[in-house]
Amino acid sequence: MAAVTLASCGGGDPPPSDRPQAGSGAGLLNSIVALENAGIAAWAAIGEALSGEGRRYARAIREREIEHAERLGELVRGLGGTPPTRRSAAEYASLFPRMRGESDALHFAGDLEERLVRAYLDALRSLPHSDQRRAAAEIAAEEAEDLAVVHLLAGGPAAPQPFVTGTL
Amino acid sequence: MTASRRQLLLGGAAASLALARPAAAAEPSAVEQLERLLVLERRLEHAYDTALARGAIEPELGDTLLAHEREHVRGLEQALRGLGRREPRAGAPPPEAGAAFESRRAFARYALDLEDRTVRAYEQVLATLRAERLLQPLGSIMASGAQHMVALRQVAGDDLLGVP
Repeated sequence: MAAVTLASCGGGDPPPSDRPQAGSGAGLLNSIVALENAGIAAWAAIGEALSGEGRRYARAIREREIEHAERLGELVRGLGGTPPTRRSAAEYASLFPRMRGESDALHFAGDLEERLVRAYLDALRSLPHSDQRRAAAEIAAEEAEDLAVVHLLAGGPAAPQPFVTGTL
Repeated sequence: MTASRRQLLLGGAAASLALARPAAAAEPSAVEQLERLLVLERRLEHAYDTALARGAIEPELGDTLLAHEREHVRGLEQALRGLGRREPRAGAPPPEAGAAFESRRAFARYALDLEDRTVRAYEQVLATLRAERLLQPLGSIMASGAQHMVALRQVAGDDLLGVP
């Protein structure tokens, strides 16, 4: 009741807002959701260029990217923000490299996953809340797994380096 | 990416662990968190070393994973020294269970469990650690551990992503 009264009088609280506060982490989370949305479209295109086990894993990884985007979107909504919506496949397709075969597709997949790993590891230093950092860490581990699967599909070792930093 | 740029990034991750010194005085909680990770990394190092000696892992893979674990241990020890811990404390690894080394597949499942527990520990630490400069390099070790899990699932004959 006291809170209602204070709110009705102004009470010194900030005015109601439908936008998250600066420094809440929402902006950074939204930028990663946008990257994940592009990743979801990219994995659909990569899967089309692969066959057999490669295509099966492309579908599985795309499903994981959808889960990541949804998890981060929930965090953004919890801060009062609105996560970016996915664009059409055609809009993303113009941003992707031309894939002439499985080798091109796996090369693109590797670049994409390196970038996702880097995005999450970079985010760890900037996200202000422990639940946000926890999500970033857990998803970073899954992106590293996805990258390892791409390594194996390309004929290399799953874990070639002791420090997986990702790339920009 | 060129090899030299990649090496620069990787070298940077190791150097960040060595140089990370938070502005505030060493926080016991941070030290305790890193020592917990060090115990887990030393246990993995010991497991791969033992597996190689007993032929329970393919030598090339075992050598690679053991070398990675040694890098992780070295990085954590340097980070602990950066936090003021001169002699990092980490309990001696427990005796390894004999059954885990009876076959390469059995060891893969055993090591997979150890790696999984270690990755989960990093996730917990990364959510709460206050030494911000350590977050990215610790994350790069966690990501390496996640890749180890994929390598071990392949040996175990499991789905590479751990989907049942």
